[in-house]
Amino acid sequence: MDYFLYLTQMCGIFIILAVGLNLINGMCGQFSLGHAGFWAIGAYTSAAFTVFVAPPLPGFIVLFIGCIIGFITAGIAGLIIGVPCLRLKGDYLAIATLGFGEIIRIVIMNMNSVGGPRGFTGIPQLSNLFWVYLWVVITIVVIANIVRGTHGRAIISIREDEIAAESMGINTFRYKTLAFCVGAGFAGVAGALFSHTTQFISPTNFTFMWSVIILLMIILGGMGSITGAVVGAIILTILPELLRFFGDTVSQWRMVIYSVILILLMMIRPTGLFGKHEFNPLKFLKLGGKS
Amino acid sequence: MNPIMETQAITMRFGGLVAVNEFSMKIGANDLIGLIGPNGAGKTTIFNMITGHYLPSEGKILFNGESISGKEPAVITQGGIARTFQNIRLFKDLSVLDNIRIAGHSRLSYGLASSIFRTKAFHEEENKLRAEAFELLKIMKLEHRVDSLAKNLPYGEQRRLEIARALATHPKLLLLDEPAAGMNPNETKELTGLIRWVRDHFKIAVLLIEHDMKLVMEVCESIYVVDHGELIAHGGPKDIQNNPKVIEAYLGTTEV
Ligand SMILES: Nc1ncnc2c1ncn2[C@@H]1O[C@H](COP(=O)(O)OP(=O)(O)O)[C@@H](O)[C@H]1O
Ligand SMILES: [Mg+2]
Repeated sequence: MDYFLYLTQMCGIFIILAVGLNLINGMCGQFSLGHAGFWAIGAYTSAAFTVFVAPPLPGFIVLFIGCIIGFITAGIAGLIIGVPCLRLKGDYLAIATLGFGEIIRIVIMNMNSVGGPRGFTGIPQLSNLFWVYLWVVITIVVIANIVRGTHGRAIISIREDEIAAESMGINTFRYKTLAFCVGAGFAGVAGALFSHTTQFISPTNFTFMWSVIILLMIILGGMGSITGAVVGAIILTILPELLRFFGDTVSQWRMVIYSVILILLMMIRPTGLFGKHEFNPLKFLKLGGKS
Repeated sequence: MNPIMETQAITMRFGGLVAVNEFSMKIGANDLIGLIGPNGAGKTTIFNMITGHYLPSEGKILFNGESISGKEPAVITQGGIARTFQNIRLFKDLSVLDNIRIAGHSRLSYGLASSIFRTKAFHEEENKLRAEAFELLKIMKLEHRVDSLAKNLPYGEQRRLEIARALATHPKLLLLDEPAAGMNPNETKELTGLIRWVRDHFKIAVLLIEHDMKLVMEVCESIYVVDHGELIAHGGPKDIQNNPKVIEAYLGTTEV
């Protein structure tokens, strides 16, 4: 597969992951470190569907069903994990979600039907640039519309002040769970697109490190900004590829370079590139659009 | 007339500390009642029990004749009790308009799908909510701040916004926790008028915790005084002013 095409598709997949995590971490303020786990669930369930059960339908329909399956299974996993974990706060929630993310990976590692530690091979390449970016658009529109409605305001109020939110009649647990499930669901979609892009997935694709990298994307872009999540995802997908031009040593120091960039960013612009602001193309083109 | 809210001998213990001891009070549907006492007397703790943030160790709280002890704070607010906080708790990074709209959340009925697909129901309800918010901000003299972030408001306006936000939940009982704290005498005077006006205009009951004795004496028809978690006096402003126990409680601490 063409290298640049592949990279462009990976950018789209990470945009979906980052925009979803941003709903949980940036909008709702719930520190989740288990995003790679939901990504894995979508990747594996959709791949299993395509390889084992899909009827002979056109590829794009199979992929679409795979994405829906990814959304639902990862969303349900989000519900199962969210209900016990979302009663925890701050660091405790981060540790619990981290643990669950790893559990998902270890369970997959022990499932021989999907290749276990050897990985899942022979997934047809049903995804392409068009389908990836169609889902990017769907993800952004759905999440932006949620955020700009009353459910989204309820989600954001929890980030702002949970006690005040409760006192305004908002069922905080319900909206935390909602944000968590929707974010997890889109990670599942990203998983489906990923497995049908790379044609091979293994548990090592979904380590805790990736949860951290997706988190870095939204911190870089600005927690709470969808625009920021998109930009952060693009930068951190392309950066390691750029670093490759400088040879293997530089490439191996990737995480150190990330850390340095992050430290610099926190010193210069602690709210991330976009803060909580959005780039609104309608407003930019003076076509209106109200708050 | 039946009281709208009643606490029946509520007690709150934190480990060995008895913060509130068998506190009983009644509030009528359109009363303006004061709750005073020295620092640490247990006033905020009483609020926290009424709003469901604390579960009383003993005793019962009735609202509209129904027990609300053990209910979630959100459910109690939806039932008609709203509050402000001693240390302002606005949604700081959100606009004034959003602060108000969030308080209207539980009155909206459109679902998540309506929001995603921007249905007619979404637009209708959102427009109505917006119009209501503007109207409330206007009568609370905050309309010039609609788009400002809450954190950028001057202190007095933040206090006012917090009251407006509480009112946006459409309460029947409004609990104000030291709304004049940190205000200058001018702002306090304005607030005094506002509290009375809010009670009359919205026809609700108001329970006011206040440190500023003058304010309380001026606006409240009836006052409860607590000290060390105990109710030490209850009566009209005149009775309270001359009550030796109250004078002692206030002189005993260096505050007044
Ligand atoms: N969550 C809590 N845990 C332990 N002690 C508390 C808690 N809340 C209040 N208290 C204690 O209860 C007493 C009454 O506090 P509070 O109700 O805030 O007083 P007031 O509002 O009258 O100044 C104080 O001694 C305070 O330290
Ligand atoms: Mg207090």
